Amino acid sequence: MYTKKAPWQKRDNGLTARIIVSFAILTILYLVFLSVLAYVGLGAIPIAVIAGIMILAQWYFSDKIVLWSTGAKIVSREQFPELHDLVERIVARNNLPKPRIAVINTKMPNAFATGKTPKSSIVTVTTGLMDQLETEELEGVIAHELSHIKNRDVLVLTLASLFSTIAWYLMQSSLYGGMYGGYGRRRDGGGGMLLVLLVAIITWFVSFLMIRAISRYREFVADRDGALMTGKPSKLASALLKISGTMKRIPTQDLRQMEGMNAFFIIPALSGSSFANLFSTHPPVDQRVKKLLEMEAAMS
Amino acid sequence: MEVKLGLKVTGRCAVTFKTVSGTFFYEMEQDIKRFLTSLQPEFDLAYRAVTDSYGYMWIVFEGKRIEDLLAALTATGDMVEEKGFSDQLLAAVFEFANERQGGHQYLIYNYRRNNFYPFVPTGQKTRDTEQEMIMMSAIGEEMPFEKDMTLWYPLWDLPLKSPG
Repeated sequence: MYTKKAPWQKRDNGLTARIIVSFAILTILYLVFLSVLAYVGLGAIPIAVIAGIMILAQWYFSDKIVLWSTGAKIVSREQFPELHDLVERIVARNNLPKPRIAVINTKMPNAFATGKTPKSSIVTVTTGLMDQLETEELEGVIAHELSHIKNRDVLVLTLASLFSTIAWYLMQSSLYGGMYGGYGRRRDGGGGMLLVLLVAIITWFVSFLMIRAISRYREFVADRDGALMTGKPSKLASALLKISGTMKRIPTQDLRQMEGMNAFFIIPALSGSSFANLFSTHPPVDQRVKKLLEMEAAMS
Repeated sequence: MEVKLGLKVTGRCAVTFKTVSGTFFYEMEQDIKRFLTSLQPEFDLAYRAVTDSYGYMWIVFEGKRIEDLLAALTATGDMVEEKGFSDQLLAAVFEFANERQGGHQYLIYNYRRNNFYPFVPTGQKTRDTEQEMIMMSAIGEEMPFEKDMTLWYPLWDLPLKSPG
């Protein structure tokens, strides 16, 4: 099961980590359960049916799992009238259903969207996000999350993960097939098994990278669509810079005070090498900001 | 970029370098002044030399034709380098006026890094980062740009506007 997450994962891994751990534990639990079923001698078809039911159940309860694991609370209009107004403004202008709104009480600025269908979705923001951003920037972030909902990114990524899971199971079952099946050819069975294992690992790894590539692409799309919703790409850009901490790193000390100018000769830290990019679910902030500002320039 | 951002060249630009005491530097200063004065019949521009509180000398140019301004500025920079003071050269600054929001925006050329970055002061010690980034995205493709924003050092109280 995949969930939609923080667009600025780099800064706040905690929240994402909690969601991932919750789902990982669930996945392990049902893998153990299925293994037990297989051990007691249940056939392949009943196991597949039970697995299917479990995946559906997890899918069905995914919202509750996310809310529970992050400590997000659904908030009413009375509790957060301004936040409700802000969301309503965006959805009304863009003809979208209004999602439920949840808040996490933490200083870490973050936001994410969950939900199986646009109607049942939830947009969650942290109190830190509301404190740090100006209204227009917060609008940009929420529009980004609403785009994830509109584009059904949760579904896209869940399906993508499901395919990789299925590919993994297929490889695994052919691995067991190799173990128990080939009576007459025990001698070269070892090499065959190794090959299957290798293919399984490669399959899983490639699908892992692909899911991440899809996810990064969906982020760019959500940035673009979100910016179109508000009509202010530069506000989302500055929100991204604030949340990622880049804004704070822009110097205020005068160039003339950088006397010896040693500052200019420090080897720049290897910032977001392409290797790290392959594994992350979000594109680097500077790339996202660049695209948003190009949009701003094209719009004005 | 002028069209895209509503920015207009004001016809003011400047080059700045750190002053040192000594005859060589004094001679260079005189040479530059003689040279710039000699340009004036042909080139439609005015210049003045200001020394700021940091001990940096500013040669500020003002004129209508951009080509003239750039030529004079580049030539001044070259003269400083030729006289062996290239280490003293700090920056060149180009001024723009924002026609939509008002106020001045600058493009700073850093001689050390050989690239440009934007600077939009909004007050005594405050800057408009959003405008700066909009500038960068609009010009970024056309010039060598400083991608590392932590090196976008401001130049407060630029002596470009008022004489003295």
